[in-house]
Amino acid sequence: MRYLRLYLYFLRFSFSRAMEFRLDFWFRIVMDVVFYVVQIIFFSVLYNHTSVLGGWEFPQVLVFICGFFLIDALHMTVFANNMWWLPILVNKGDLDYYLVRPVSSLFFLSLRDFAANSFVNILVASGLMAWALLSYPDALGGLRIGTYLLLLLNGTILYYVMHIAFLIPVFWLHSNRGLGDIFFAMTRYSERPDRIFKGYVRRTLLTILPFSLISSLPARVLFEGLKPELLLHALGVTALLFVGMTLFWKRALRAYASASS
Amino acid sequence: MNARLFALVFSLEARKLMSYRVDFWLNSVIGFAAHFSIVYFLWQAIFSESGSELIRGWSFEMMLLYYVLVILAGKLVRGAEHLGDIATDIYEGGLTRYIIYPTSYLAFKYAQHLGNVVPALVQLVLFATLYVLLLPMPEEAAITPASIAMAAVSIGLGNLLFYSFMAPLQSVAYWADNVWSLNVMFRFSSNLLGGAMLPLTLFPEWGQRVLDFLPFKHLYYVPVSVLIGTMGPAEWLRSLGVGLVWLLVIHLVFRAVWNRGKFVYTGVGI
Repeated sequence: MRYLRLYLYFLRFSFSRAMEFRLDFWFRIVMDVVFYVVQIIFFSVLYNHTSVLGGWEFPQVLVFICGFFLIDALHMTVFANNMWWLPILVNKGDLDYYLVRPVSSLFFLSLRDFAANSFVNILVASGLMAWALLSYPDALGGLRIGTYLLLLLNGTILYYVMHIAFLIPVFWLHSNRGLGDIFFAMTRYSERPDRIFKGYVRRTLLTILPFSLISSLPARVLFEGLKPELLLHALGVTALLFVGMTLFWKRALRAYASASS
Repeated sequence: MNARLFALVFSLEARKLMSYRVDFWLNSVIGFAAHFSIVYFLWQAIFSESGSELIRGWSFEMMLLYYVLVILAGKLVRGAEHLGDIATDIYEGGLTRYIIYPTSYLAFKYAQHLGNVVPALVQLVLFATLYVLLLPMPEEAAITPASIAMAAVSIGLGNLLFYSFMAPLQSVAYWADNVWSLNVMFRFSSNLLGGAMLPLTLFPEWGQRVLDFLPFKHLYYVPVSVLIGTMGPAEWLRSLGVGLVWLLVIHLVFRAVWNRGKFVYTGVGI
């Protein structure tokens, strides 16, 4: 309850801050719309040269990519600003301020800055998702769609867990971005259907670096039906990585040496 | 700005980037491996699922070569990429100190932008050598000393064009408090329209005709096409002319934006 009340304060401050920078508010909306259009055109051009990609036809890829847009919008709104600041706080020694608070430092640092200027993009991405689902030629059923949305939520948490896990090495590396750029290079894996990958790359993307679990596996559950092993796999990997990331965070805090560490 | 100072700024920027060595090599190697593997599997799937050996004249091997060169040459074109410090200088008031320096601010920034090309050049040599050693060179590829020379000119033009695109976007900071989104927006659209995401010949005919009139193809598609020999000298010369006209137009727009912006600059930051 205390954490919920705290989060509501975060939201209030974030919205009032976003309203101060109105031009940036609109730039952010247009930026994400451009990203959505570029991705849709990219797949449209690809489908001019093949009818199937990774076992999916165009309407299926459209649902898949719109799922990714939704996860990306949620991440940008809820977590991204906080992730941006984390390496800076560590390198400047400003983390002290957060460590002395009587709340979980991970909670505070992950959720403090809600990007109100990206909030509209959640609505845009949801609209695109609704359009993709409504224009899908076959009936999908309420249960499957419900499970799909649940798995997208799981994908959002997984995206956050992996993002912060790539940033935590900044406690030792002292570089300006940690391994953040590598994370962004690797997120491209989650923008492609998982079945295009083969062999050990595919196994890695479904387990150790589960980028394919973010939006591709949820789409497979939607199209291929509910398979308990797939659900268990997605939720289990997320839970395991979350626990691993929390332990990693605690270990990193022990290595933190405050000012200009 | 005199040549000695330009060289000094260029060299400082290059050394700054290379100073975080672990970070630099981790980002270079893993970033390249991730990008290449995605492209490899994507096109392997497309070629296998479409059942074609050639897609609009591109074989699988030629497609891979195109992407490898786009990834590497693209870094030379983008240089500092965000040029974020122009906007920061404007809205934090840091531009003031350059006003009293006896040198051109924009030339100073371009020297920094070029300094960022050095690590990209190191990567180009390293990864291109690895590619040649590990993967077969497609028969259709015609990389010759002449094509390398033409590509070098096109990469130079692309680098100038990229800077000329980014600088006016950064100058919007005279009126807006955060222009990061504009940079990202430009990166998304130029990647698609410039040929970094796909060779432009894969677009429908009408799309290609539109793209011919736009400046983006000079960033990635033209330098790589001329390098691998899918664009001949006559077409390259014509394209170079079009690129230079675009460079002039964008530069004039930038000058207009910059000069107007200077009037609203207060020097105290936003």
